[in-house]
Amino acid sequence: MADIHASVQARAAGQLLTKPVLEVADLAVSFDNASNPGAPRIQAVAGVSMSVFPQQTLAVVGESGCGKSVTALSTMQLVPSPPGRVDRGTILLEGTDLLSLTEQQMLSVRGGRVAMIFQEPMTSLNPVYTIGDQILEAILLHQKVTVEEAIERAINSLETVGIYNRLKERFKSDAMALKRGKSELLDEYPHRFSGGMRQRVMIAMALVCQPTVLLADEPTTALDVTIQAQILELLRDLQRSRGMAIMLITHNLGVVAENADVVCVMYGGRVVEYAQVFELFDRPMHPYTRGLFSSIPGLQHRLRRLTTVEEVTGNPAEFRKLPGAERGVIPWWPGLPKEARPPLESEREPYCLHEIQPGRWIGCWRTPELAAQGSRRPELDYRRDS
Amino acid sequence: MVTYLVRRSLLMIPTLLGITLMVFMLLALAPGGIGASMQAAGGQGNTTGIAQQQAYLEDRYGLSDPVIVQYAKWLSSISPIKFGTRDLRMQSGERVSVPRPIPAPSLPQVFPPPAMPSVVFTPSTDESQIAEFKALQRDAEGTRRTYVGSVRLFRDALADVARAVGAPLVGRLDGKGGAKANEFADVLTVLDAAQAQAAQDAVVGTSASSNIDATHKPDASAATVRVAQLAQARAKLFDAAKSMDTKWALAEETRQRATIAFMAGPYPKSGFPVIPNLVSLDTSDFGVAFSKNRPVWDLIIEALPVTLLINLIAFPISYLIAVPTGVIASVRRGSWFDLLTGVLYLSLYSIPTVLAGVFAIGFLANNQYLGLFPVSGLHDTTADTMAFLPSTNAAGVYKCGWLLDVMWHIALPVLCLTYGSFAILSKQTRASMLDNLSADYVRTAKAKGVARNDVVVRHVFRNSLLPLITMFVGIFPAMLGGSVVVERIFSVPGMGSLVLDAISNNDRDLILADVLMIAAVNVFALLLADILYAVADPRVSYE
Repeated sequence: MADIHASVQARAAGQLLTKPVLEVADLAVSFDNASNPGAPRIQAVAGVSMSVFPQQTLAVVGESGCGKSVTALSTMQLVPSPPGRVDRGTILLEGTDLLSLTEQQMLSVRGGRVAMIFQEPMTSLNPVYTIGDQILEAILLHQKVTVEEAIERAINSLETVGIYNRLKERFKSDAMALKRGKSELLDEYPHRFSGGMRQRVMIAMALVCQPTVLLADEPTTALDVTIQAQILELLRDLQRSRGMAIMLITHNLGVVAENADVVCVMYGGRVVEYAQVFELFDRPMHPYTRGLFSSIPGLQHRLRRLTTVEEVTGNPAEFRKLPGAERGVIPWWPGLPKEARPPLESEREPYCLHEIQPGRWIGCWRTPELAAQGSRRPELDYRRDS
Repeated sequence: MVTYLVRRSLLMIPTLLGITLMVFMLLALAPGGIGASMQAAGGQGNTTGIAQQQAYLEDRYGLSDPVIVQYAKWLSSISPIKFGTRDLRMQSGERVSVPRPIPAPSLPQVFPPPAMPSVVFTPSTDESQIAEFKALQRDAEGTRRTYVGSVRLFRDALADVARAVGAPLVGRLDGKGGAKANEFADVLTVLDAAQAQAAQDAVVGTSASSNIDATHKPDASAATVRVAQLAQARAKLFDAAKSMDTKWALAEETRQRATIAFMAGPYPKSGFPVIPNLVSLDTSDFGVAFSKNRPVWDLIIEALPVTLLINLIAFPISYLIAVPTGVIASVRRGSWFDLLTGVLYLSLYSIPTVLAGVFAIGFLANNQYLGLFPVSGLHDTTADTMAFLPSTNAAGVYKCGWLLDVMWHIALPVLCLTYGSFAILSKQTRASMLDNLSADYVRTAKAKGVARNDVVVRHVFRNSLLPLITMFVGIFPAMLGGSVVVERIFSVPGMGSLVLDAISNNDRDLILADVLMIAAVNVFALLLADILYAVADPRVSYE
């Protein structure tokens, strides 16, 4: 808790402890409506802002289709185009706008400075190449090293993700056999690995070039709970030892509570709440966030049934709980009835991200007052102490 | 892997046997049976001679045997494991088998079976041995032929008797108008009765006895004629039987002489003995194509290189054009290139080969139009005198050479073989690429920073190979089997033409050899595909 206050105060005083490594500002991405060409484009991301600091884990949560993955893929410029298109916004990686880079320049960013791991470890590795080939490919693309050095690095990288733990137990006393076993493992094909092992290989591959930002798109969704915990633990360790920033995309709030420093809740292609993790869990402010939390089954409460998200967001009274509600600071929600909405500054852009208190951003209806205040990109230089 | 290969290879044997057995049965089911094409067209010349010739051919190729016996004989001739006396091999490489036994005429009861001639014969051992053996062989063949002809005559005589006697025997005639020799006794019994009846009728008809109603009185003159007719038929039948017996004795004696000469070994023995005089190993004998009167193997050896030449040019062309097109079309899905190639290839695919071939000849090869290519054949008439490569002679005259001549001749057949295959190949490539382009590992590769083209070539294409391998297996047998239509249109003497001739002539041995070869290539291609699968995709394993 001390940390966040220090951070907030420092920021209030106009000085940041560190600069964010990745900043997304007002990003909007839309897709062609393939099934109905006359229809308007599908707005997957409609003005998203967030920032990630070194060694920080930013958790992006939200239901399917809320734009989490598209945000991450836009960062890598991997949104297939067509049908996808970046409408506006900037994505700054250490000050460089990634969206303005050429494809050639992006090649060195992808896998080099920004790496990404995906949800499906079972299908994310190419089945016809050995894991050694696939890791070496990443190394040789980004680093000027000989093949021998690259192999060395690949082995080290697999070492860090704990692929060799089993092997080490087996060849405790035999160093030569262990060494041979390590390089033999590089010649194995992905189908010979379990899901957890494959995800470790994926992580090793992503981290082998020492990226500054790791985009983890639901890295543990397809894994069972034990492996999930191991993988997250591993990511946390690597983050600490390398000072790497992680954007952790998930819809598992348990994972968020355990691992995140800062949480960005998204809905409908927009950020609805952006806060430090403990504050968010202690005091969710946006009705959608409250709805999400109330729908988590818990053992401590005896409930006849769980509250659904719709029950919370469907109740206009829930939207009047923000401080400043009387001034028209009403949480943005596309399903809110017209009469419950405050008068907007313009019908075309109904949303703005409002810093309701230091270090706390809520997506609000864009009233003339809030529009006049302007909106600042959310950034929270906070890391949980551990 | 080795175990798997061995198991698959062993499984090929029953598969091939099954396929050939089926084809054999289909041949037998054809109207007229396996020997149908051997039947004389009729109408010309003396019918007895034609019938004898036909009987001889049937005997020579074993066409009158039951189908299953013919199949067993064919199997034993193609089997590398031979039983019984080993063949001899002449210097020319031709094989000589031991003279076949001759079935004895079975005329029990009436004629005592002719005594088996006992032959004492010492073949010469000096340089005249081969000449002597050849003469004996020729004699044996000749006497056997005469005997087989006499059997045919005897059966005709038997059929004449049956017709003369009347209804009860006509029903017993076989499809060729003959009767079975072992029905001789039956025929005689009926004949005796008929003769007695006719004789009695003649007597009764002439007597003026009044106790017989005039309406039931036999016609005496007709009965007399009938008596004479029957006597004549009987005499003919007995002549034929006697002649058959004598000819058998002669044929059998010559055969025994020839056998003794054969055993003396005028030529070296063929093959390799496993158990002396019982089992030996030898090369397969595919028999003689009776429509062309040439060894089947020679015909295949002549036709196969022609087909291989055309197809080894045509198939790489189709792959080299269709596969890259499919890859590009998949990467630029929905672009003008994708649409254009799709429409173009599908319209090409929709043109029947027959039509394309006729148009190609009519417009490209016809002198009234473009006349760019030769109409048919594989070589110029002067091809034998050509140098291999193009050259200019001393007088400065340009000669195109053998290579260009052949290329020029096969251009149109190759065109007709390739144009239709683009559609399937490129669509298959495109579909397979599209499947993989959206795969998760492609996203991973892109996220690693692999350039777009490298992703396509290194990651996607490698994963799209499996359907292409399957397609390759499909067309591989066609490569050896030849294209019946194209070869026929352009008069190319390849495997396709050979198969078509064989089928239209119902040529048993040629059809079987073709079927066996195509089936074997098919089975091997499947095995090859399985091996290639394992090479292309490490997840496939045959351990």
